[in-house]
Amino acid sequence: MKRAIALILMLAMVTALALSGGSAYAANKVTLTIFNSKMEIQSQMEEMAEEYMDTHPDVEVEVYYSSDTVAAHMSTKYASKDPYVLSMVDAKDIFSLGPDHALDQTGEPWVAETTQAISVDGKVLGFPFCVEARGILYNADAIERITGEAFDPAAVKTTADFQALCDKLVAGGMEGPTGLQKEDWSLGAHFMQEIYEMQDDPDAFIAGIKDGSVKLAEDPVFNAMMDTFDVLKAYNWMKQAPLSAVREDTEMNLAQGKIAFKFGGNWDWSDIKDFDPEEHLGMMPVPSALEGYNEKLVGGGSKYFFIDNSVSAEQQQAAKDFLNWLVFEEDGQNFLVNTCALVPAFGNITLPVSDPLGASVKSYVDAGAMIADYRYAPDDHYAKVGISFQKYLADQIDRAGLADEITAYWATAEVGAH
Amino acid sequence: MKQKTSEKVKQYLMFAGPGTILFFCVVVVPFVYGLYLTFTSWDGVSRAKPFVGFQNFADAFKDKVYWQAMGRTAIYSIFAVILINIVAFFLAYLVTSGVKGQNFFRAGFFVPNLIGGIVLGYVWQFVFNRAFVAIGKAITGGAATSLLASPSGAMFALILVSVWQYAGYMMLIYVAGFMSVSKDVQEAAEIDGCTHSQAMWNVTVPLMRSSFVQCLFLSITRCFVVYDVNLSLTKGEPFGSSVMAAMHVYNQAFTYKNYGLGQAEAVILFLVCAIVGVTQVMVGKKGEVAA
Repeated sequence: MKRAIALILMLAMVTALALSGGSAYAANKVTLTIFNSKMEIQSQMEEMAEEYMDTHPDVEVEVYYSSDTVAAHMSTKYASKDPYVLSMVDAKDIFSLGPDHALDQTGEPWVAETTQAISVDGKVLGFPFCVEARGILYNADAIERITGEAFDPAAVKTTADFQALCDKLVAGGMEGPTGLQKEDWSLGAHFMQEIYEMQDDPDAFIAGIKDGSVKLAEDPVFNAMMDTFDVLKAYNWMKQAPLSAVREDTEMNLAQGKIAFKFGGNWDWSDIKDFDPEEHLGMMPVPSALEGYNEKLVGGGSKYFFIDNSVSAEQQQAAKDFLNWLVFEEDGQNFLVNTCALVPAFGNITLPVSDPLGASVKSYVDAGAMIADYRYAPDDHYAKVGISFQKYLADQIDRAGLADEITAYWATAEVGAH
Repeated sequence: MKQKTSEKVKQYLMFAGPGTILFFCVVVVPFVYGLYLTFTSWDGVSRAKPFVGFQNFADAFKDKVYWQAMGRTAIYSIFAVILINIVAFFLAYLVTSGVKGQNFFRAGFFVPNLIGGIVLGYVWQFVFNRAFVAIGKAITGGAATSLLASPSGAMFALILVSVWQYAGYMMLIYVAGFMSVSKDVQEAAEIDGCTHSQAMWNVTVPLMRSSFVQCLFLSITRCFVVYDVNLSLTKGEPFGSSVMAAMHVYNQAFTYKNYGLGQAEAVILFLVCAIVGVTQVMVGKKGEVAA
């Protein structure tokens, strides 16, 4: 008897284990799992999923987010053979993951409406979620309050102009007029990459650093950008402890006019809008002493969706339908432009961009004043170069030391295939 | 009473079967598969896993940053283990000495251990970055910077938080140790002329040796593979100066996309940890005495 009871208990435990493995499945519904890598729109994504399910009753949408870096999170998902149906990743991840894991979307209706799709070997793999650009964010209201004259971003082209304006602001009582993020992605992936992107041929430039024919410390673009970085650093409101700067604090100060400038991009809007921002915010190119480099923002398509090629045909179809919904349906367009405040990458979407930073970006895009992203830096580039930049920011190394560390990094690093 | 082998197997399966199966599935299988991956140059996402023999181990030994992280982990572990055990021992002494409300204190000291490492790291990050800085500014009237902004400060913060987290847990084991030593022995020693503290050091503490062995083992192994507090408190910052071995392994495998190399470094970390832990237990067990 006792033995029988023990046996039953054991069986019960094993069944319980087996049951907990498989989650309850709603009959006849296609599950569309979406990985969202834009933290700032996670709640919007979840609300959109609810609404999408109301209008598409046979699809079950689940939105996930991870605080890990995109590439790292994708690695863990693919290592455990549990991919998302639809994943939002960075452009470089399309090149690294796409050939193995992404579904070819050539011939989908949305492809004709954009210039930003990513193709590898003639196959369209990446769906551009939005256009983003990097530059200097400004608060014109805060500047005008102190200078007393209208602020024209086009008049602040050179580093010297920029420094003169910062001096004026300090004299007018603004203690630290600029903001710099300490995050490795802001320093290593955004600031450093501008230096590659401003070269005539970024690939040749990096190859030059690798074989020693380019001396980074003597490169005019590098030095011009670093001069501006030094100004940003010298007038940083967190100058005392630049590595303790909290991104949201900097954004809040910019929104409320306690500082006037911040290096960043239009994605900052999703945080700034929560801080009751002043009316006239905008974006301008990073000032530079070099003619021609200080008139364009840097950027392009940002955050790409790809569909996993190993999931069921129904799931793939559901994912395709979803992407076309974003581009062609009123609700989808409204979600992109108004709910998420993004700059769409599709020509057929004519809704006016709702936020001031996005509007700045759109005006530069429309004027053709954009420098294209460089998308082939290795996965560890932002982290390792970011560390070198953090040292520079904390005065642990000087500019020559920074150039040496970046050169040393490239000695062993390889750019991604493209 | 002799049992047939088949009976024994049946009984084993009945009681330990589910546990064994689970252990096999979530520990043994991944471990063996992980060992296999150390011989490949897999990047973590592609379908191909090219075989490269012992190349990853050779690279791991040449990975300077890894050994720096390893050395940093050793330093962190030494300080954290010593402090955890000293603090835990005195807390245990305090809450068994008959102070008023000692059960309340026991629960209180144990609570930090119930908060997950990630949450705990974020809470302390807030304390270091905001609370302490605000207090510092109020006192000095000028600029105060966060501890987490300097390499040595970040290390200090990590050690402090670990001690705060684990001391309560180790305290419980020491409390059990104190309780297991009969009051009679201590009284006998005091009647024989020992002072209270002499009786404590020469009679009670040697009898508690197994508690020390256990606590040291637990704290050493936990400190060596620390990851959660490291991630949420410092994230390896400033400029990568607080990256511990486990975090470096994770970065190597998932962020830098060298899965095979990261796995090889994980195996080395496991071996180091196992050797230190087992040696400590063997040495500790040797001198154990019973009353």
